[in-house]
Amino acid sequence: MTRKKRNDLFAHIGLIIICFIVLVPVLFALSKSTQTRAQVFHYPPILGPGTAMIQNYRTAWNEFNLSLYMQNSLIIAGIVMVFKTIFSMLAGLGLVYFDFPLKNGIFYFILFTLMMPTEIMIIALFNLVSDLGWGNNYAALTIPFLASATGVFLFRQHFASIPGELADAARVDGAGPVRFLWSVLVPMSRNTIGAMALIQFIYMWNMYIWPLVIIRENVRQVVQVGLRQMTNVQDTTNWGVVMAGAILAMLPPLIIFVLLHEQFTKGFALGQEK
Amino acid sequence: MPSKRILLVIVSVFALLGLVSACSGGSTEPTSGGEKVVETVIVKETVIVEKAAEEQIPEGATVIDFWHAFGGGRKLLIERMVADYNYTHPGVYVRVENKGSYRDTLNAAILAAQQGNAPHVVQIFEIGSQLALDSGIFMPIEDVVQGPEFQPDDYIPAVANYYKINGKFNSLPWNSSNPILYYNKDIFRKAGLDPEKPPQTFEEMLSACETIVSSGAAKNCISWPLHGWFFEQWMANMGAELANNGNGRDARATEVYLDGDAAKTILNWWKEMYDKGYYAYSGKLEDWDGADAIFVSGQAAMEITSTSDVVNRQNDAAENGFELGTSYLPYPASSERQGVIVGGASIWLTKDHPDNELQAAKDFMIWFTNTENAIRWHKATGYFPVRKSAVDVLEVENWFELNPAYKAAFDQLLETKETKATQGALIGAFPEVRTIIEQAVEKVLAGEATVDEALSAAQKDANKAVQDYNKSVE
Amino acid sequence: MYTAKFKGRFLPWLFLTPTLVILVVFLYYPVVQTFVLSTYRVAFLGLRKKFIGLDNFVSLAQDTGYWHTVWVTLIITAVVVVGGLGISLAIAMLANRDLRGGSIYRVLLIWPFALSPAVTGVIFLFMFSPGFGAINYLTEQITGSELNWLGNPRLAITLIILASIWRNLGYNVVFYLAGLQNLNTEVLEAASIDGATNWQRFWKVTFALLSPMSFFLLITNITYSFFDLFGMIDIVTKGGPLDATNVMIYNLYRDGFEYYKTGLAAAQSVILFAVVVGLTIIQFRTTGTRVHYGG
Repeated sequence: MTRKKRNDLFAHIGLIIICFIVLVPVLFALSKSTQTRAQVFHYPPILGPGTAMIQNYRTAWNEFNLSLYMQNSLIIAGIVMVFKTIFSMLAGLGLVYFDFPLKNGIFYFILFTLMMPTEIMIIALFNLVSDLGWGNNYAALTIPFLASATGVFLFRQHFASIPGELADAARVDGAGPVRFLWSVLVPMSRNTIGAMALIQFIYMWNMYIWPLVIIRENVRQVVQVGLRQMTNVQDTTNWGVVMAGAILAMLPPLIIFVLLHEQFTKGFALGQEK
Repeated sequence: MPSKRILLVIVSVFALLGLVSACSGGSTEPTSGGEKVVETVIVKETVIVEKAAEEQIPEGATVIDFWHAFGGGRKLLIERMVADYNYTHPGVYVRVENKGSYRDTLNAAILAAQQGNAPHVVQIFEIGSQLALDSGIFMPIEDVVQGPEFQPDDYIPAVANYYKINGKFNSLPWNSSNPILYYNKDIFRKAGLDPEKPPQTFEEMLSACETIVSSGAAKNCISWPLHGWFFEQWMANMGAELANNGNGRDARATEVYLDGDAAKTILNWWKEMYDKGYYAYSGKLEDWDGADAIFVSGQAAMEITSTSDVVNRQNDAAENGFELGTSYLPYPASSERQGVIVGGASIWLTKDHPDNELQAAKDFMIWFTNTENAIRWHKATGYFPVRKSAVDVLEVENWFELNPAYKAAFDQLLETKETKATQGALIGAFPEVRTIIEQAVEKVLAGEATVDEALSAAQKDANKAVQDYNKSVE
Repeated sequence: MYTAKFKGRFLPWLFLTPTLVILVVFLYYPVVQTFVLSTYRVAFLGLRKKFIGLDNFVSLAQDTGYWHTVWVTLIITAVVVVGGLGISLAIAMLANRDLRGGSIYRVLLIWPFALSPAVTGVIFLFMFSPGFGAINYLTEQITGSELNWLGNPRLAITLIILASIWRNLGYNVVFYLAGLQNLNTEVLEAASIDGATNWQRFWKVTFALLSPMSFFLLITNITYSFFDLFGMIDIVTKGGPLDATNVMIYNLYRDGFEYYKTGLAAAQSVILFAVVVGLTIIQFRTTGTRVHYGG
């Protein structure tokens, strides 16, 4: 065996072990999500499939309102994903393709909000949104999140790297900035858009502390808080059902992730894209 | 192609949305997988509840919000009861929601009130009573409901004792419980102990545990959640008050008593049980599930937990194939058994609602806690009947003879002596004080402090919490 | 680089309006309000407010419990960041080889990034629960005695750290892998011709070339440890045992929304804000514009 082959073999073994370690917690959850209470409480633990799969998933979906919570999460994540991308793109357009007084100041003004995660001002934001009367509304979960420094920054950097001749050509053709954005920049920004969409979807889907404090009625509650409710009641928890809930709650972001991870890698992090 | 992918993502988001809404409106036939009787019942209940939940709010109906802290089977039961109410009371629609734990429910109600949009009816745990009074967002129920529709004399004395504050009921007693001992008779037999003679005192507990653990009948001897509630109950059982000014009953409590002899006796025993490997808990504070799991899985022979778990434990015993026994909360032999405090929660009415909503909310609260519903609630959960009239009906039915597990729970309450200690403490900052007590126990068990050190530190912290709180409401 | 400009005086402002309005109303204004609130004692339910200057900060500074909270936050952050990045880099190096099926490994490694801290928390809580958790059973078989993962302060903090690292592993690996793939291979080849050992080659060349990426990941992982772990801690330990996992954001939540000490919680927000600003300044100072975003 050559040295290269031997090293490759070690790499394969190492990678398989690591992939397995990464996979184990979810496999465990998957197995437990099919077990009855008695099977879950069995000692030593049973690791295979149980006999209550359909029942557990049904209970999580219906009785613990996960269907409703997931719907809410999808709606708010969808709204924010679309509008934040549009708003960020427009801001990037304004910052790159125009000259106006205070341009740099405005850019730093936007960039500075990178240091203001929701958690930091949650007390005051709670008071503000309550005063606006949005406490039981999708508005509370979407409007404050429609703009972001990350988005503006990403698009500004990306637009700046697009050759200026394209804009010249567009102007000669008589196209205005909006048409230029739509017919030139958007098609050239697929990776950035994909990366933004993915990050925003996951960010919104994972929102926890804010909906926990601001949302009054369960009809508007989101999936992460729904999971918290499943484990945090004044009663015995059925862990099989909770695991079913965890599996359900991880599916939508996983699907989006699988579809977009290439754009994410290319659009977000890295220069020298081919 | 990247653009196709993005399109795919957007399409799949909407497809998921469609799936979600389709499924939530889909058919819900009971599965054939429910091989256990108990589970089949629950599945059937789900179907009924769902149908109720899918019903649109009738046009023009007065909508009443009711928040509670229950999950699982109890949540289903509550939803069924509410569905019954809605069905028989056209023109009113009670919207029922679960808000997490007791603490979560209280917090959610206060945050909603802060937003100017409080739910009408809220379940609040017993130690939140003073805080609820101070918050000013509730109205004393006895001021609103008078006359024949409200019978304050129908509540059993122990319950009335706890919930009558400043001479009147401020809320309607609903789910009341106290701690009892559950034990696994099969493990007792295996260890050579008499399955009909569970330990009664702290001392008997220690020797029974030695037998159980050394015989290898179970890995641990006993479990109960690391929860301040048990400490409070043991204090009361020994006749010790938790706070000054008559346990906060004569005037607002300004000091707590956490470093007295009673507290030390409890913690010393707790620590000994833990160090010898007899006592096991999940490691998490207030983790009822953790203690249940240790007992139900047969890793411990006994569990101390709420009477309200009678039904749950009976189901668990049936599922896991062991024989269940129940007995009183153990106490130190050095003191006489004084009895227990009424635990659980009551339902409160918030203020600032239009008159029609107020009337409807009031009517619902009275209906929800009437004799018939008190019996239904007791039978389905194990929470004891809070009304004398309910007890009378149950006795006519010979219910307690037929169901001895329920009896131990109820007798323990009836035998309780009426003292300031068993009446239960009223402390505004009680939720915080309870956490401080729990952390003191944690410290002692972890060996980070001696019993005396931990208790005197807790005493200091709790007094500060109480005084800070009092400053903010005066 | 030359960039052409469109003309228009109001047009750029129009394009910037949605972003600016939201940032001013929902970010700048609440931050200012937070500073204001931090100088008040707010009575129960916000009914009465009393200006008390810096008293909230003084009482935090005198509270050993709060210092403990800061300490815990720093420990968790340090281990999650250093440990997480180290493991991720090692995995990325392994996966970056020209192996058959390499892309499969990559997909199998990076997906936990899509899992929320709450979902991760629920699963880890369950695996490590005494009585029925599989890991708990396993550690008991190995060590011979039951490890109280949730009750022992050190083990609980370990559990939170393990879960946090596991959850962010994919995210970090993706970025490192991308960084490795963009490395200038000529430099590496030159180094091996020069007779540098593997270790030297890694440390002097690869690691140095990756440092912009490392800095970027450093900051995102610090933010993750500071804020995103809230959901996990809330579900797994609730800040316990003995406040061992009571990080700053959890303490803030408890004071603000469970014990209704609004002013005190606002003061904690101000402190957190100061920490974040400090970290960001360090980031800009050390990396400048070296982290290249693009694509």
